[in-house]
Amino acid sequence: MLLPSLVFLALFTYWPILRSIWFSVHDVMLGSNEIFFLGLENYTRLLGDGLFWKSFANTAIYTVLTIPLSILCALLLAVALDTRLRGMAIYRSAFFYPVMIPSVAAGMVWVFLYAPGYGPINGAMAALGLPRLEWLYDSAWALPAIIVMSIWKYSGYFMLILLAALQLVPRDLYEAARLDGVSPLRQLIHITVPMISPTLYFVVVIGVLHSYQIFDYVFVMTQGGPADATNVLTYYIYQNAFQFQDIGYAAAVANCLLLFIIGLIGLVSLTLGRRVHYLGK
Amino acid sequence: MRPLLRKHWQHLVLFPLALLWLSPLLWIVVTSLKTRTEVFDPASGLLPRAAQWTNYPQALSIAPFDTYLLNSIFVTGGIILAQLVTITLAAYAFARLRFPGRNLVFGLFLLQIMFPIYATFLTNFVTVRELGLMNSLWALMVPFVASGYGTFMLRQAFRQVPTELADAARLDGCGHLSTLWHVYLPLVKPTLVAFAIISVVTHWNDYMWPLLVTNSESVRTLPIGLGLLAKADSGADWTRLMAATVVVVSPLLLLFVIFQRRFVDSFMHAGLK
Repeated sequence: MLLPSLVFLALFTYWPILRSIWFSVHDVMLGSNEIFFLGLENYTRLLGDGLFWKSFANTAIYTVLTIPLSILCALLLAVALDTRLRGMAIYRSAFFYPVMIPSVAAGMVWVFLYAPGYGPINGAMAALGLPRLEWLYDSAWALPAIIVMSIWKYSGYFMLILLAALQLVPRDLYEAARLDGVSPLRQLIHITVPMISPTLYFVVVIGVLHSYQIFDYVFVMTQGGPADATNVLTYYIYQNAFQFQDIGYAAAVANCLLLFIIGLIGLVSLTLGRRVHYLGK
Repeated sequence: MRPLLRKHWQHLVLFPLALLWLSPLLWIVVTSLKTRTEVFDPASGLLPRAAQWTNYPQALSIAPFDTYLLNSIFVTGGIILAQLVTITLAAYAFARLRFPGRNLVFGLFLLQIMFPIYATFLTNFVTVRELGLMNSLWALMVPFVASGYGTFMLRQAFRQVPTELADAARLDGCGHLSTLWHVYLPLVKPTLVAFAIISVVTHWNDYMWPLLVTNSESVRTLPIGLGLLAKADSGADWTRLMAATVVVVSPLLLLFVIFQRRFVDSFMHAGLK
């Protein structure tokens, strides 16, 4: 019964990972049959490759900013929606619909929204008396611009999952806290967050996995530019493999991405996972 | 005034935020009805003076969107059908059968959640090329046939099914497969629907993998077609591009509006329980 799944998992998950390790110690060019053993040369090259470190840093910045910010946003939205509010379904859909939109369409629309000359975001900024920015054309603002877009895209999803958890929190806890004169903010920090901590933990993990999708946005919106300000590991793998045809080197970068994800999930489970509070377990 | 405020503070906060969240979508629709000059002229206001419905047929005539649509339906449908078979069998084995190394193998299944196609696209590309599947609709489907996530979701659901029911079926002479079919599957329908919806949304919108393994019109899907159009236009004609975007995003958004409750429930309870 496991066989059908295992065949496909082996072929498209396990084998690629093993093979990527094998590729990374060889000189493999796309479309060529000649393969030379290199040992760790690809990795020593990585260490001295400024662009690799830059895309690594960008990946880390993107992940570390996008996930907490969108979860915070999602949590506040969920708390505000967790009352028998009129128009609740409409609000919920308004925040959730970006999840349904293909990443390529979302990226494209935001290119338009961010357009320096005629884009509405700059128009609104000017109307508010703020300086106009070059956004995706400015190496300082391009990555933040993609982060803002990602928050728009994913908060609704996280909100929905958190909302499901909030509905299970016993109401009398809040009632008791209110009678004791505990402020709403402290109720949020001391009751809500601990009570839904398993779900928060789950949402962080989902967030890490969704952050892979930045490839689509970079590909559509900036092509890694300007001046590699938005180059990220997935995109750098793509560049090395399909633009420079250097599969071996791309595989070395890919292995670093795998290590980064393992490290990140490990870190999350060691820090957050330990503090998760399971009710009645 | 104050009690009124206290009662309705949520609306005061949520309404402007919801508008902000909706504004990209409104912008797409509004732009798709503008003329080109209106797009580039900030003085022309937010709304088009007269709705330019002709942008739509024009946008659709530049690229074979009907082929893209059929490909998208075929690929997404193929993936989800294959997934439902593989995850049902695997989840049943993990939930109800005892065999050595069960937890280890289950862990291996979960590995796929951590390393999706975005992490393994490079070597998968080489594999697909060696299999001779390049530039075919099969290439778009094969990496997704097995699903660690789906197996996980369904295993949780199968575990909730009372063993007495299954035992009764076994006593009546049902084998594993027919117990699965007659007892388990009808009881976990909500989970199956939830997984199907999540999977359809994911694969209908897939961009990176189809981008890598397709290079001709006959196998491209809607998102790829839209991306190509954007590249060809390079921002010169936003009206056409936004009209095409409306066409591409509307199938899922329409389904979402019609089956809102189903969609919301699926995403809400995915992975919980």
